Amino acid sequence: MFNIISLIFKYIFIFIIYVFILSIIRLIYLDIKGIYPVAVNNGAYLKLINRKETLPFKVKEYYPLSDKVELGRANNNQIVIKDPYISKKHLRIVKDEGKYYLEDFNSANGTFINGSRVMDVVHLKNGDRISVGQVEFLFVNKE
Amino acid sequence: MKNNSTNKEIRRMVIVLVVICILFVSLVVYLTYFQVFKAETVKMNSYNKRLWINEEKILRGSIIDRNGKILAYSEKDGETYRRVYNYGNLYGHIIGYSYREYGKAGLELKYNNELLNISKSTTWNELKNIVAPTTEGNSLKLTIDHHLQEYSRSLLKGKKGAIVAMNPTTGEIYSMVSMPDFNPSNLRETWSAIVEDENSPLLNRATAGLYQPGSTFKVVTAIAIMEAGKAGEQYNCVGSKTINGASFSCYNKTAHGNIDLRKALVKSCNLYFAEKGVEIGLEKLEEVAERLYMNKAIPFDLPVTKSSFPNRITLDKANIAAASMGQGEVLISPLNMAMIASTIANNGQMVKPILVKEIISPEGKVLEVNNTEIISSSTDVFTANEIKNMMVEVVLRGTGRNARIGGVKVAGKTGTAENHTGKDHAWFIGFAPADEPKIAVAVVLEEEGSSGGLAAAPIARKIILEALNTID
Amino acid sequence: MFGSRINYRIPRNLLFIFELLALLLMFLYYKDTLNRITVVYSLTLILLVYISNFLLLKISSGDNYIFLIVTMLVSIGVIMIYRIDPELGLKQILWIGLGIILFFITFILFKKIKGWENWFLLYGISSVLLFLLTLLFGKNIKGATNWIVIGPFSMQPSEIIKILTIFLIAAYYTNYDKFREMKFGNYYLLGIIYVFVLFLFLQKDLGSVLIFLSVFIALQYVYEEDRKLVLINLSILVVCAIAGYFVFPHVRSRVHTWLDPWKYIDTRGYQITQSLFAIAEGGFFGTGLGLGYPDFIPEVHTDFIFPAICEEMGIFTGIGIIMLFLILVYRGFKIAINQRYKFYRIVALGISILFGIQSFIIFGGVLNMIPLTGITIPFVSYGGSSMLSSFIALGILQVASEELDLDEE
Repeated sequence: MFNIISLIFKYIFIFIIYVFILSIIRLIYLDIKGIYPVAVNNGAYLKLINRKETLPFKVKEYYPLSDKVELGRANNNQIVIKDPYISKKHLRIVKDEGKYYLEDFNSANGTFINGSRVMDVVHLKNGDRISVGQVEFLFVNKE
Repeated sequence: MKNNSTNKEIRRMVIVLVVICILFVSLVVYLTYFQVFKAETVKMNSYNKRLWINEEKILRGSIIDRNGKILAYSEKDGETYRRVYNYGNLYGHIIGYSYREYGKAGLELKYNNELLNISKSTTWNELKNIVAPTTEGNSLKLTIDHHLQEYSRSLLKGKKGAIVAMNPTTGEIYSMVSMPDFNPSNLRETWSAIVEDENSPLLNRATAGLYQPGSTFKVVTAIAIMEAGKAGEQYNCVGSKTINGASFSCYNKTAHGNIDLRKALVKSCNLYFAEKGVEIGLEKLEEVAERLYMNKAIPFDLPVTKSSFPNRITLDKANIAAASMGQGEVLISPLNMAMIASTIANNGQMVKPILVKEIISPEGKVLEVNNTEIISSSTDVFTANEIKNMMVEVVLRGTGRNARIGGVKVAGKTGTAENHTGKDHAWFIGFAPADEPKIAVAVVLEEEGSSGGLAAAPIARKIILEALNTID
Repeated sequence: MFGSRINYRIPRNLLFIFELLALLLMFLYYKDTLNRITVVYSLTLILLVYISNFLLLKISSGDNYIFLIVTMLVSIGVIMIYRIDPELGLKQILWIGLGIILFFITFILFKKIKGWENWFLLYGISSVLLFLLTLLFGKNIKGATNWIVIGPFSMQPSEIIKILTIFLIAAYYTNYDKFREMKFGNYYLLGIIYVFVLFLFLQKDLGSVLIFLSVFIALQYVYEEDRKLVLINLSILVVCAIAGYFVFPHVRSRVHTWLDPWKYIDTRGYQITQSLFAIAEGGFFGTGLGLGYPDFIPEVHTDFIFPAICEEMGIFTGIGIIMLFLILVYRGFKIAINQRYKFYRIVALGISILFGIQSFIIFGGVLNMIPLTGITIPFVSYGGSSMLSSFIALGILQVASEELDLDEE
């Protein structure tokens, strides 16, 4: 009896190991492409407009947005950008009743949407350009 | 301290990564190559204990003689099985042995898979084996007649040599003895002595021993002479002669006078065959020899060494003359010689020698039968009959008189082969009854120092008589 | 990064299922001798692995794959070891548990403590001390004098020295300009590594000699600005290798056994031929766990775990393990390339090369593709020292995969 089970299991094991390897390869592949499939499919995200190489600090191509995201230079933000022109706590994007709002925390150098400085809270529309420090993002909302 | 990797650094890292990738890919390639091309051979190495683990779980099949007498069987010995050889030395060369330390030989080797009931390793068979493993192997039924085998061995006791007795029309081997022999039951105690013995008891002389056939080979030359249409030509034997610088002479330098093929064979006249052989030429002789399975692999259940007939075109006349009378470079196995005798008895048709008659399943079902098979039409009926009559005369009033049996027409030919040891090999081949052959034998006594007529013919006579009396 | 966590569930759950099924099979195999401790321990381990993989996503912003890959390797290894010998399997479960805890401790400490690149001397001196300890108190196990036995515990200092050496090399190249200003500064590292290798050679630990040299050559190749030095190093090694073959009989005998193991099947070729039998018997899919005879191979649980896996789980699993290592090494390189601090970059690179080379040497060895030297497969073979040091190395790699900021605040 054990023989039969073991015989069947050996195929299952090999199958699992290879599916495991493939799923990891797939994840790595997606990672390299810089695509976060979940975020892109059913949510809003920020897309970097600058050429990544031109910036002297680390910044990602995509930042998916959840209900509440804070951006700043300090490590306790969800989006951390080590740009000296960005304040430690710079801005936040919140989702309310399906709409996204950007709120500036009185940052030193300010936040600009399509060129105009954000004074209080601004409703974000698909295609808006957001400038913070040396970085410029495109707001994408497919909903 | 903070600095991004430079391009140069990244380039070098990538090179190192590529090297490691190549190493790993080569591992995968090698592993696959090993599995596909080498695994099968590696697995069969006798140091692979897995081979034995499987075997020791299976009751190895028995080996029985033609009348059902058990010659070898296996019995349970604790967790594993133990092989028992009932008759010790008697079947050492035929059945062989099966030991972890020394490997396998004989039928134990050749029929290993059948004895263990291991089928070819296909996926389906493997699956079957895991779900319901084989526990009992098949049995082998031999063509050997235990009584005749025992009797044959008793005749060779204390001598060196071999006996092959077979049915000339079916090819069934009745007895096959090679001396000296060994006992497969107690190899662990005797192995080193056996291996070091200079008489090589492990050698099965009947199939793997090669001897100069001496005058028995004149039967072959006679077929060639008949086929060349020179049987009736007269020849004047003067007792001794020089051919191409080498001197040839008849036994005791007897001058046989005016003779033809018949008289030459009966008197075993060397000069006649030497000169006639040169006359018909090497090509013809070789062709006949090869029809009789010299220079060819004989299909058999035990390994047979190829008999050899010289076939170089550069061979000079003296060597052709020597070959024609069974000396010089001609070497033949006793089994081949018995097959040649059988061919004459069987109207020129050579049958395949059979040792294993049937393979029988544990439930008693016959799985496989080895049937009689003609492997060569060696000569025509007329020639075979003429030679047969001559061989009858050899026994009646020629060199083979010691094989005479009252009331039975025995056909035969003696041979005394000179060799480098100075002691002659004594040969006799023959069959009986000549008109309806039931038994053919080949007897060779190695370095006997006596003639075939004196030493080998009486032994052959006894075997023929015993076989005719006891085997139906 | 938020929603993407969902994707990691697939491999994590596959790993979980794999472990459960294998455990079930093993319990069935040893159903007569099964005790409660084993069940509790192994279930705890499965849970620990699952939680660790989950937790790591939360606490580390770095690479999410290496720990996952390693836990798969560890699982395959421990199942095979448990199948060969339940007692060793139980111990291995403990080692893995300890290893994972050590991984997290290393992860936290290595991240918190700063200034690793400045302690060149510390790495050098502690390595030499460990070598001296081994030389003085070393016990000869399996032909190599590389074990220290203290009471009931035994350890292989060379496992720790491997990591120290990588730190040493990293510290050297991070402060490359400083060292070069010194007299003979170029040759400091070369000299130190040669001393290490000499120590290992004295211990007759040829496998480690190979590993140290490979890691050193690779790192030197990437970071040494004096390209002449790389060439000098390589030519010295080639000369030494040839001289070693002619001078030392134990080096020569390895090469001979490698060229024709069948000739020495009774003596020193016994192990490697038994390994080849096992791989050959396994075929592509293996005999099935518990249905082969891997225990015919001497040292099957440590150096020869790979043929045992091939026999019972098939060379497809064997190839799977090789691929897992390849992905692990690839991730390591990726981490190194993305790391912005040179010291961490070199360390990440060194550890990746270490994992790659070490596994290659033993895979190739048991396949008789290269001469056999007795070393363990990281994460797969049985052994406390090897398991713990490998998890420490992995913890360091995990830190290196994060975006560090050392200068600020």
